[in-house]
This record gives sequence, C-alpha cells and structure tokens, in this order.
Amino acid sequence: MKRVAIFGYNPMSYEAISRIDQARYQLVVLDHNPAHIELAHENGFETALADFRSDDDLRAVGIGRDIDTLFCFFEEDSQNVFLTLSARALDAELKIIAIVYSPESAEKLRVAGANKLIDPYEICARKIHDMLKRPDISDIFDHAVFGRHDLNLAEVVIPDDSYLIGQCVSQLQLSSQYNLILIGIVNQRRAEPLRFVVEDTHCELVKGDILVILGPEREIRAFKQDVENEFNDIEA
Amino acid sequence: MLRKFIVYGAYHLKSSERYKRTKVFFYNLLENQGSRAKSYFDVMMIGLIVLSIFFLLYDVEHEASPMGGYFEQAILVIFACEYLLRLWVYSDSHLIILEEHEKAQYLNIRFSMYRALKKAIARKLEYILSPFAVIDLLAILPSYRPLRILRVFLVFRLFKLFRYSNSAKLFSDILATKRYELLTLMVFTGFLIFIATVSVYVFEHPEPDSKIKTLFDAMYWAIVTLATVGYGDIIPHTIGGRLVAIILILTSLGILSFFTSILIAAFNEKMPLLRENRTYAELERYQEFIIICGYGRVGHEIARQLSQDGQKFIIIDRKEHNINLAKQQGYLTIHNDASRNDVLLSAGICRGASTVLCITGDDVTNVYVTLTSRHLNKNIRVISRANLHENINKLYQAGADHVIRPFEIAGMLAAEFLGQPVAFEAISGILHNQTEIVMETILVSEGSWLIDQPLSRVELTGQKLTLLGVISANPIHFKHKNKYQVKQQHFYFNPEAKFILRQDDILVILGRKFGIDHFRDQIERHRLLTGRQA
Repeated sequence: MKRVAIFGYNPMSYEAISRIDQARYQLVVLDHNPAHIELAHENGFETALADFRSDDDLRAVGIGRDIDTLFCFFEEDSQNVFLTLSARALDAELKIIAIVYSPESAEKLRVAGANKLIDPYEICARKIHDMLKRPDISDIFDHAVFGRHDLNLAEVVIPDDSYLIGQCVSQLQLSSQYNLILIGIVNQRRAEPLRFVVEDTHCELVKGDILVILGPEREIRAFKQDVENEFNDIEA
Repeated sequence: MLRKFIVYGAYHLKSSERYKRTKVFFYNLLENQGSRAKSYFDVMMIGLIVLSIFFLLYDVEHEASPMGGYFEQAILVIFACEYLLRLWVYSDSHLIILEEHEKAQYLNIRFSMYRALKKAIARKLEYILSPFAVIDLLAILPSYRPLRILRVFLVFRLFKLFRYSNSAKLFSDILATKRYELLTLMVFTGFLIFIATVSVYVFEHPEPDSKIKTLFDAMYWAIVTLATVGYGDIIPHTIGGRLVAIILILTSLGILSFFTSILIAAFNEKMPLLRENRTYAELERYQEFIIICGYGRVGHEIARQLSQDGQKFIIIDRKEHNINLAKQQGYLTIHNDASRNDVLLSAGICRGASTVLCITGDDVTNVYVTLTSRHLNKNIRVISRANLHENINKLYQAGADHVIRPFEIAGMLAAEFLGQPVAFEAISGILHNQTEIVMETILVSEGSWLIDQPLSRVELTGQKLTLLGVISANPIHFKHKNKYQVKQQHFYFNPEAKFILRQDDILVILGRKFGIDHFRDQIERHRLLTGRQA
C-alpha cells in the first residue's frame, strides 16, 4: 500500500482526497492550521498536525521514509514552493504534485523539484473552452470518464517476463475480447512519448511498455488480471 | 376621383411586400450605418468622386476628351440616382397620407388631400434642405449645361466625400461639446481683430507710402498677424502701427494656444467614448460571439484560446488594470460593471451573443451577472464559475447552464494523476490538442452515406482512425451494451461491428487531425456525388 501525504486542507484537496482510491492508497492529511486539521478529522480522514516549515515535522510524518507521493495543496504559491523544496531535499525519489496559482510560480516549483504542476485556473479555462468548442467530447469525459460512471482510463504495465513481449498489438484484440479501447503505448524506460496505436497496429510490445486503455472498470480489471496471469485467453 | 385613386395607391404600397423589401434594401445600402452593403457602397462612391475630380483636373490642363465626357455623364447619372433614392428612402409618403386619411375617417371629417400632400412634401423638403442633401445637389447641378457657370460648385463633390465617412461628423460632434469655450474665444478674437483693424487703419492710413488703403486691407493685415502667419506683404511703418502689431502678436499667441488646448481637451474627453463606440460598432458585425465577464487568470487563458480559434469575443471587466491587460492583447473590451443591464445589452447579449461566461473570482458577482444575463436573454448559454462548493446550486438557480468549479476540477485531476500518471498525461494531451492526435466528433447528417450503415462497413481502421464510441439520442440503439447517459443523450462506448448508424448520431473519433479531416471530406464528397446521380 502506497502512502500519500496531502498538505493543506481546503475544497480542492477535499475533492482530490474523495477521488483517490482509498483501498490502494493510505492517505494522511497534514496542515499547520489546527482548525483545518479538526475539520479534516471530522470528515473521517487520517490527520496530523505538521508545520511544513519544519524539516523535523516533515520527517516525523514519514517523508524520506515511507511516503511515496506528496500533494502540495496550499493556497499560497510561496508555501507550496517551500514545501516542495524541503521535501525534495529529504527525499530525491518522492513524487511531488503541487498546485500552482500564478504562471510565474510554475517555473519556481519545477526548479524546486515538483514532478507535476496543476494550475486550477488554466484547467478551468481549458474546461470552459472545451465546453464551448467541443461540448460533446467534454460531456463524455465529464460524465463517463471523470464522472462517477464506470467508464475509466487506465494504464496497464506489461511485466518484464510476460509472454506478451514480442507480440503484436493487434493480436491483443482488446476491442472484441475485452471491450476495451487501446489508446496508446508508452515506454518509460526509453523515455519516448506516447505512441498511438491508431498509427501503427503492427508494433510489437517490448519490455517496460505501458498500455493506456479506456473502458469499463470491470473489463479493465479483467484485463489486468489476465495480463498478470500470463494472458491465457489469447492463446485459447 | 383622384383622391380615391391616391388613397388606394397608398394602401397598395403599404401592403406590398416587394415595395417594402426594395425600400429596406436601399435603406441598408444608403443609410444604415451597421450594414455591410453601405460600407461597400461608400467605398465605391468615394472611388467615383476621386475619379471625377481627376477628370476635372485633367480638363483644366487639357482639351476636354470625349471619354471624360461620357464618364462625367455616367457619374452624374449615378449621383442623381443616389440623390433621388435618398430622397425616396428618407420618408414614407404613403404612410403619411394614410395616417391623415385614417385620422379623417376616425374623426368623421372630410379628408383633405391638400393637407396630407403638404405634410408629405414638407417631410421631403426637410431632407432636401439638410446640409448633406444640399451638397449632393450642388455636386450634380454644375454639369447641367445651361448652368455651366456653377462649375465652381464642382468642388462640392469634394465635400461629398464627407458623407461617406464618419470623420466629419465626429469632428463636429467633438467641437459641439466645447461650444461654450469656443464661442467665448471667438467673441474675444472678434473684438481683438476689430480693435487691431481700426487702430492700425488709424495709424497707417495717413502715411503716404503705406499699403493700407482701405479698412479691408487693415483687417487682412490683422488676421494674417493674429494667425502668426505674417506674409509680410503689408507691414506697419509708424510707431503706433508697430505697437499695435506687438500687442496683437503677443495676444494672438495666447489665443492660439488656448484654442489648441480646447481642441485637445475635447478630443481627450471624447476619445474613450469614441473607442467604446468603435467597439460596439465592431461588435455589431459579429455573429455568435462570446461575452467574457471578468478578465482574471481564467479569463486571460480563455481569451487566449478563443482568439487562437478565431472565435470572436468581448471582455467586460470592472478593474482598469485587467482591461488594460486585455487591451494590450488587442481584445475588444468594455470597462464597466457586467452586472448592469445596460452594459450587457450594449455588449450585445440580445443581439448576436451566443454565450456568456461569468468567470470572476467572486461568487457574488458571478451569481449576479448570471442572473442578469438570464433575465435579459432566456435562450443564451450561460457558463459560470463557482469558487465555493455551496454556491453551485445558487448559480444553477440563477440560470446558469453549466457551472465550473476550478478548484474541484483541479483536485479531481490531481487524484486522477496519482493513480495513472501516464494515462492521464496521454488523455490530457489529446484533450488539449497538444499532441498530433486529436479527438473529434463527426455528425451523421441528413443525406450522408453513413446513415443505416453498420459500423463494419465504415472503414475506420484502414484510415488509421479509432472509433471511441457513438453519441446518440435515438432510442433505437438502447439494446446495445456499454451505454452511458450523458445529459439527454447516450454515449455508446466501443460499439460492436453490427451497430447501425442512424441520422444525427455522432461518431467520436481519435486520430490525426488531417486523417479526420480527410474522412470528413470523403463523406462530403460522397454526398455530392450521390446527390448528382439522384
């Protein structure tokens, strides 16, 4: 079980927390404001009072030890930058996701060591733009994918020793066998951008490939299961 | 008998659609400031005038050429037509007659044809005597041979140019706002000229070698000196005359600078208003534009994306700082409070606007603007931003069609990213057109060959396109699985090969931009081909 630390308790982090699959991740909500902590505690989250300015506090919650991912949800860019910087110094491997409000701070956060930046204003603007320009697609993603329906986006890592390595993508027959749509393949080890399957249906799977798929939750689960179980269906 | 005939004719005109259409057409062509036809017409007329002036100048230096003569005739006909059409469009005589007639019938008195006609003609005379009409007439008359003497008035053609641009009217409007100051200055200048004229005449006239022979010479000298032009053809010789010159020159410096400052002040005061008018005038030409209320970070980002798409929009903001930022980008702006009815109305909420975005950082303002917009226009699409969760319902109540919650979306995406960073980056890249692969929709429109085709017949994989699903409101598809309710429609994810397309279904396709465009082209071409066969 991966441990996730969430700094800053506010509507945004609340939304994030409620979306995170609590079966897969163990969350801890941290804030330097006792009132926020109390509120989070009332909502049933695991909480701890921690001052982001103190390295001892950060160490005490487990940064540099067992925390895998850190969310910086503070409402001030400067606080997020400070937290990112301190956490990065404690743990070089930590995955840091930070909220950024002004474009100037984005660069600073990246330098400080954040892995992913999320700009609520930009996202909001994109959202509105999509609504205006492509209402149909925007609706689908709102309702089906990001919404509470079970249509989901998922990534499936091909294990190194998998029997699938060397197989052609079209042989997977995801669409008919599993009712899944394969959007693309990424290989993080080779650090190459996403290859879209539409382009080239004959590409072979190699070690370290990650399949990006779209489909109903239970089909995704079935497919994942099969990938782990050496993919017997295809053979049959 | 005649009277009856005229009244009958008037009724006939009133009921005639064709007459009305023709009149509206000419009104748009000649007088309607907002119409496109007028601007083309104006440019053409300016061209004709410049050409005719060119021929006039040519004739001054050369023998009159026959070609020039024909051209002159043609221009004259056009001018005359224009004049008559303007006269015709100016008022509706038949309506005036009918009004009189109905009034007489109502009061049960005798209908006086004479009174009605007098009224109608008075309206027409009103036009004939208006300054522009006089100029128009003077521009036509000189070409009439017996009136050759009026050739001087050909210069009026030049004045006619003013008719086709708003600059002259604008200038006079600006001057009119400073009427009091200008009048005071004129009176003062008048006195000064009078005093200078009389005194220099008194001093200089008795001198034997003086050039000031008459009072007119004296006035001419005074004005030339006052304007700081000073040709030097007349110069004062006496001490007295020179003293007058010194005083006049010193005073005139003051007058000129005063005059300039009045003009500058008038322009400065009027400029923001003029700019705003230009904004509105430009808005009038737009169709389907978007009103953006609030130019903060979100507004900034949306405006950037919309301008990339070539979508027209107008920004309303209360803060001067934001407006200046928007102006620097060259966007159309209104510096005012978007919650006021008149501001939204002049921004075109009931005329041409398709969507209102209420995206300020303040929920109170957003709710208020949403409410105002909905109140003003029942059908417009309103998209609002809710910064706090508890205000979402208030915004829906106020009449918003969509409510966007920036912080919640961001939180949601952050959670999504945690679970599957690779998939997340891939899909957001596609959604935001950052990759070469895009997601687009294709509508199965009326007459398209796609109608009633099973998906297996639609060669998508061959074209390197992936079908994600089909959006449809058609109940015929209900039996298919993987159905997701999206508003009033259903999204059928990964439909089977036997899925049969119906009209108004929407295909959601993933592929390269040009691949999708090519597919669209094919559909269109197919339609044209089959259309020709049938």
